[in-house]
Amino acid sequence: MSKGLKADLAKCTGCQLCALVCSGTHVGKFNPSESRISVEDVFPEPGEFKLSYCTHCDEHPCVESCPVEAIKLNEGLGTYYVDKEACTGCGACVEACPYNGCWMDPSGAYAIKCDLCEGNPQCVEVCPKGVLKR
Amino acid sequence: MMADGYTGKILRVDLTSEKITTDNLNREWAKQFLGGKGLGARYLFEELKPGVDAMSPDNILSIWTGPAAGTMVPLTSRFVVVTKSPLTGTFLDSYAGGFLAPEIKYSGFDGIIIKGKAKKPVYLWITDSKAELRDAKNLWGKDTYKTEELVRKEVGHKYARVASIGPAGEKLGLISSVTADLTRNAGRGGTGAVFGSKNLKAVAAKGTMGVEVDNMDEFVKMAKEMILKDVVENPDHAGMITDGTPIIVDMSQNAALLPTKNWSSGEWEGSAGINSDALKSRVLVRKKACFDCAIACGSWSKVKKGLFKGATTEGPEYETLGMCGSNCGIKNIEAVVKFAEDCDRLGLDTISSGNVTGLAIDLYERGVLTKKDTGGLELKWGNEEAYGKMPAMIANRQHIGAVLADGAKRAAKKIGKGAEKLVVESKGLEYPAYDPRGTIGMALAYATSDRGACHMRAWPVAADAYGSGDPWSPEGKAAICVEDQTRTSVKWSFIFCDFYSVNFANMAKYYTAVTGAKSSEEHMREIGKRIWNLTRAFNVREGFARNDDNLPERMEKDPLSSGKTKGKSVPRVDFERMLEEYYKLWGWDAQGRPTKKALEEAGLKDIVPKLSYLK
Repeated sequence: MSKGLKADLAKCTGCQLCALVCSGTHVGKFNPSESRISVEDVFPEPGEFKLSYCTHCDEHPCVESCPVEAIKLNEGLGTYYVDKEACTGCGACVEACPYNGCWMDPSGAYAIKCDLCEGNPQCVEVCPKGVLKR
Repeated sequence: MMADGYTGKILRVDLTSEKITTDNLNREWAKQFLGGKGLGARYLFEELKPGVDAMSPDNILSIWTGPAAGTMVPLTSRFVVVTKSPLTGTFLDSYAGGFLAPEIKYSGFDGIIIKGKAKKPVYLWITDSKAELRDAKNLWGKDTYKTEELVRKEVGHKYARVASIGPAGEKLGLISSVTADLTRNAGRGGTGAVFGSKNLKAVAAKGTMGVEVDNMDEFVKMAKEMILKDVVENPDHAGMITDGTPIIVDMSQNAALLPTKNWSSGEWEGSAGINSDALKSRVLVRKKACFDCAIACGSWSKVKKGLFKGATTEGPEYETLGMCGSNCGIKNIEAVVKFAEDCDRLGLDTISSGNVTGLAIDLYERGVLTKKDTGGLELKWGNEEAYGKMPAMIANRQHIGAVLADGAKRAAKKIGKGAEKLVVESKGLEYPAYDPRGTIGMALAYATSDRGACHMRAWPVAADAYGSGDPWSPEGKAAICVEDQTRTSVKWSFIFCDFYSVNFANMAKYYTAVTGAKSSEEHMREIGKRIWNLTRAFNVREGFARNDDNLPERMEKDPLSSGKTKGKSVPRVDFERMLEEYYKLWGWDAQGRPTKKALEEAGLKDIVPKLSYLK
């Protein structure tokens, strides 16, 4: 059973408040490019929104793929996070993830992915339409 | 970069010399005028030579964001096109939501000032402190949907955000718009024609630099609370959340002020086919928000069957349902969806397009226009097939579209034969969808709006026809207009969305949260008064006077024909009384010109020497 966020996409309106609060709290700037959740609006066809984020899956191929063991276990949550200092930015985890759950920071220096905000995901709190659940 | 919401930089583009430079934001002006409308107006007042032809290379085209754009201050992801309007000759500020404004900010710019004229079609591509002009040869002639798709491919960013003109703007139609994110238009006043006159097809941006605010931890705490308490749970927003603007169709129908069949009635027998229930039950696919919006008023719609099967749009919004629906004698929302999609693709303002289409149908019914003018179309009330062909005819300047493309006032003058008497406009901008004969304060709101007839500067209809006040009493309407214009001047400078019912106190709270600077309700009011005096002074400098704050003859002499507004008009004496009161409340002279004292009190002492009427 994945420990990550769950999304009811039918309710999503594409406002990106999740990405705003994510970047604000993680990097101290409002910048969806640095967010750990990504929102895509695919219009006019098929007229849908797509959310990408780490689902904290059980297999975690990202962890196995990392050559420097920079993706570490948060013991309290039982989930994995990217240790920015240890990450070399090789991108192996990005390629290994089948869910498009992690990607490179715009600087290209390290990978970023959802860390569940120490158990209190800010995106879940701020989503005005109740799309995201933990 | 200071952590105060602003990027501190302005992008300057000279299309004639193809020179692009970066300028420091005038921080003093940012304090005095905030952003968006205010800052755009201050720069335009300073840099635009009075009396220039709006379609000439000498006109200045600028695009502005607000200090809160790109942050979590809710409903502030809007940009404004500020220029001199070729349709009205006034100051022009036209707004659009969507997703472009934050990308301009994340690219490192608060605003873009564009001058001159490119030798051949170009588009402006902005990303992370850099900007370049690119060849738009392959884009010219394309609609805005296709343009967005092609620009994204060319710049290599799947989510570059694009504002572009369609054929209407390329062909210099004066009711052409600038369309962003497919469906979001800086619609009014001929913004598209200004782009077209400069050979500028599009502006696109994608930035990864982010925006900083004074104290992020405090800010996020405040923003989360405000989004929940002042946006999601705010009772003023309930209808916007469940329905969006289409909810107003029934309100206007009940108040009998819904423009119908070229402004002949305030009640439409087909209103149930174009109201919010029709939208929800017949065409709604899903709700859609602009960036940073917890309301999500947008309705992504698709026609399921019939003549217009497959047509899609976001909306149609109330203004489109009124002006392109009831005002064109249309009973089915499917037809309006198609009309709206075509307007977005072709780059046409739906308010003006609905007005000129309603006018054309009216003239056809009266025999003033014939099949010779319409390219063979039987342009009668209710002929949806003929109606559906009008946006293309207008945008491409075919047949009667050649004159309709320049707005109702110019079209009627060219057509003659009494057509002028059927037009409803102020300063050349066609009325939006609230008939003042059912709420006479709106006549004052339209007459005194700085960009010509507009419902987004003052909205007295809320307190009377939609509320409990007397819609036909001139009492207190001037004060409502002054208060609304003061508040909206601040709102359009942040730039908040119209649908956030945000008060002065909360705007002050947001200002402090973003910039770290002290603010108060009074501080916000001062900024609003300063901006409204400035745009008024701009228009006076361009030669506008009391006569231009006009009441269309029809409003006075042609009463409405049915329901509770049957026989109602706007008495000239009431209009003049409201106007005089209005000038007095602003402290302007009898000609409606800001006095030296009014300007000084508004903190505009420095523009006094630039106004010849004060010498």
